[in-house]
Amino acid sequence: MDILGNLAHGFSVALSFSNLLFALIGALIGTAIGVLPGIGPVATISLLLPITFGQPATTAIIMLAGIYYGAQYGGSTTAILLNLPGEISSVVTTLEGYKMARNGRAGAALATSALSSFFAGTVATVVVAGSGPLLTSVALSFGPADYFSLMLLGLIISAVLAQGSVIKSIGMVVFGVALGLVGTDVQTGQQRFTFGIPELSDGISFVALAMGMFGIAEIVLNLEKPEARSVLKTEVGSLWLTREEFRRATPSTLRGTLVGTVLGILPGGGAALSSFGSYMMERKVSKHRNLFGTGAIEGVAGPEAANNAAAQTSFIPLLTLGIPANAVMALMVGALIIQGIQPGPRMVEAQPDLFWGLIASMWIGNVMLLVINLPMIGMWVKLLQVPYKFLYPAILVFCCIGAYSVNNNVFDVYSTVLFAVFGYMCNKLKLEPAPMLIGFVLGPMMEEHLRRAMLLSRGDVMVFLERPISASMLAIGAIALIAMLLPNLRKGKEAALSG
Amino acid sequence: MKINAKDVASGLLLILIAAVGLWLNGDHSLGSARRMGPGYMPMLVFWFQVVLGGIVLVMAFFNGPDPLEKWTGLDASMLVIAVIVGTLVGFAAPHLSSFFDNSYGSLGLGMLAGFLVVSYARGWRLLGFICAAMCAFCLLLEKGGLMLALAATIGIASMAEPEHRARPLGVLGITVFLLALCWWIFIKQLDIRVAVWPLQY
Repeated sequence: MDILGNLAHGFSVALSFSNLLFALIGALIGTAIGVLPGIGPVATISLLLPITFGQPATTAIIMLAGIYYGAQYGGSTTAILLNLPGEISSVVTTLEGYKMARNGRAGAALATSALSSFFAGTVATVVVAGSGPLLTSVALSFGPADYFSLMLLGLIISAVLAQGSVIKSIGMVVFGVALGLVGTDVQTGQQRFTFGIPELSDGISFVALAMGMFGIAEIVLNLEKPEARSVLKTEVGSLWLTREEFRRATPSTLRGTLVGTVLGILPGGGAALSSFGSYMMERKVSKHRNLFGTGAIEGVAGPEAANNAAAQTSFIPLLTLGIPANAVMALMVGALIIQGIQPGPRMVEAQPDLFWGLIASMWIGNVMLLVINLPMIGMWVKLLQVPYKFLYPAILVFCCIGAYSVNNNVFDVYSTVLFAVFGYMCNKLKLEPAPMLIGFVLGPMMEEHLRRAMLLSRGDVMVFLERPISASMLAIGAIALIAMLLPNLRKGKEAALSG
Repeated sequence: MKINAKDVASGLLLILIAAVGLWLNGDHSLGSARRMGPGYMPMLVFWFQVVLGGIVLVMAFFNGPDPLEKWTGLDASMLVIAVIVGTLVGFAAPHLSSFFDNSYGSLGLGMLAGFLVVSYARGWRLLGFICAAMCAFCLLLEKGGLMLALAATIGIASMAEPEHRARPLGVLGITVFLLALCWWIFIKQLDIRVAVWPLQY
């Protein structure tokens, strides 16, 4: 089997000392920020992006990926023990997990969460390995028109699935695309929207935008909220599951893995959506659905499996098509581009070390996370007792140094400040920053494909409807948009995303 | 009336940004649909944004109420004063001291002054101090070195939190700890190219 050979190669890459070390660092940081409410993976990854520039691309991506799926593990810990979701994706875990903890089964809930996450992570790794090359060969037959429509679909779905008003989210996507156009026009060399500032000729700094809108703006917003951190009262207790619990959790884990794997691949999907999807499913199909609300283990196993599976399969569109499915993946695109790698279907062939090494490291990272989370749970609970007022100066100085060190230029730090003000304003107006980030990343690529497609079709717009792949993408996008304008579905989405 | 004030503001913001974009885009040649010039895509994008902003604005009259947070008179007046002071300081900066004579120094000094002034109003305090802290970092980094820049950043940022203002010794502790940590990570391990101590270069 070719895949086995490739996976073996991947493991040889991932098992090198520095890659192992950075996978561990990523997993540790991920767990830490997962545990801490108020710091999410988007902010952390944008904060640490500049630090990874000195590393080889593979090592950098391995570490950043570790942060993302590590956060899924860590987020559930606080959800179960303190009824405080560390991440949005673990909101539903509080529903059953905290109840289990109140019933004295905190240890079992934690173990279920870690084990089902591990199982889902393993399955998702295999799915990524299997489907990656397959999708890549499909993607290679895409023409510029197909690519344009695919990106348009990705943008529409990311806006449709974002929290809040769909139209405002699309507005933010469009503004993101516009920001992406700042800089030198690739074809004519003309400077666009640069105001004569030399630093802008390469475009707006991706790190400044992400760090400002997520990192710094979040600091201000977190400080505004009064700190609500209850002290742990529940005992963790035995980590072992009873035979009965194990039997009940298994089918839920399997279903959760399936839901997460599928929803993760969708553009705009990701961990938060799939954990909720899985919870809804468990509440409908589980044998013990009458126990939901009283601490049903199914309601922990399913969503936890789903969010971890989705965290990993959301890499598929990125690695095969070069299209980010959510804000974290948009950051990965940024990381790759800064490393000089253009994400896209040619990446599997051109960067086998990166592709297979990342896949292998995902599985290794999951093993590490199992060890990091279960026996060391006490340490993470202690971390929760660090108040935010001690954390935010550290986050701030890391942002400053990080933004500066990208180009060794203070201009990027000033841009970060401006984006922080803008991000704060957007939050107050309920404008979502995540779709904007995705638009920003896809903007330049969309322009290039649009130009090429129109050149090939001699200026005929119908090309987007004549090519079957492109036409079907546009049709799906239109359906998704119309569906969200129906009041019933919209209510369902609002319920899903607010938990 | 059930006006959604947040959506009114969002719609206006989207339209305003797009209008400025379209105006700036006047400098770029559009080309034709077949051979798109540098101005074609921005034109499409900004017009689309105008339309979306318009829809948000119209819908705002039907899906409210969702009021904006209350501004006190002080919040509003300090914002105006901050913009004026910031602009003045920015223009005066080149004549003040050659210390700020580095890249974007006058911009930074202007921004720093503006953010510090606006922090006087309670509603702006957090955002103002955090942003001022970052501007101080930029201003001090090249000639003052990393350590001084970080100390200033932490000092200003800690003004945002009332508990830090009450305990200057605690802030000193945080500063020492973070300076050591940053030195270890960024200088010792990652070796980023930056002056560490004042007047090193």
